[in-house]
Amino acid sequence: MIEVHVGELHAVARAGDGNMTLSMVGTADTFAESALNELLGRLHGELQKLGLRDVIVDLHELEFMNSSCFKSFITWIVAVRRLPEDQHYKIRFRPNAAMHWQKRSLHAICYFGGDLVSIEG
Amino acid sequence: MALPTSFDMCFAPTTRIVSVVRRFVLSLYERILEDSEVSSQLALVTHELLENAVKYNIDDETMLRISVSPQSESLSDMTVTIKTRNRATPENIRSAQRIITRVKEAEDPFLFYQELMMSSVMMPDGSGLGLARIRAETEMTIDFNLDGDWIEIVAQTQVRYGGEP
Repeated sequence: MIEVHVGELHAVARAGDGNMTLSMVGTADTFAESALNELLGRLHGELQKLGLRDVIVDLHELEFMNSSCFKSFITWIVAVRRLPEDQHYKIRFRPNAAMHWQKRSLHAICYFGGDLVSIEG
Repeated sequence: MALPTSFDMCFAPTTRIVSVVRRFVLSLYERILEDSEVSSQLALVTHELLENAVKYNIDDETMLRISVSPQSESLSDMTVTIKTRNRATPENIRSAQRIITRVKEAEDPFLFYQELMMSSVMMPDGSGLGLARIRAETEMTIDFNLDGDWIEIVAQTQVRYGGEP
């Protein structure tokens, strides 16, 4: 398990049954930027170590994410893209339709990620 | 029917209250506009602008002004303006001018946003991603005004009360 609790953000990554889920709760803003970078870097390493082929990012309880934290996800996607193709894994976002900002932000990140990124539902 | 409303806030810069302000203005927009999707976008814009204003401020005063005004005779069509105002170093003012000009001149704001995402990976700070995000995700226009070492960033859009077509 990888966990960070900083400012108003609580993020936990758990492996189980052949997959990995990163759950984000609260607000990802300036205070969370550096911790989130570190968490995603560790998660990237863990996914490679375990040889998993996809990871779910559960945003159901994520109230808001600022552009700095958004950039942490972009950096993560670029890191996956730079892996040899046979080591690529997919990032699947699980959104909350009631958090309206997520719709357009996830569309942008999904477009950026191409085949590596998808949105559930 | 939305009523004309304006709101001003002036505070000593601290990033600690930016999220508090975002929640407050989200409630304000929802109450005024009766449109939760548009309100969420406006709250995002307020957060991004305010975070920048606080981050780059060089003294103890950051200002936020939000106004919702009717367009001509219509009380359903409203212009929403979000402004932040702060003092900044000449270097940061030049940097803001440069990125806002690029955001304004981008023929396709979404593609520009995508390009900036890619280039931001190599930049530790000041990529302008927040401003490009505003233009691409909310379609608000972005502009700036300078007065000495004061910089005012202005985001503006037209909305319809209650999300009416």
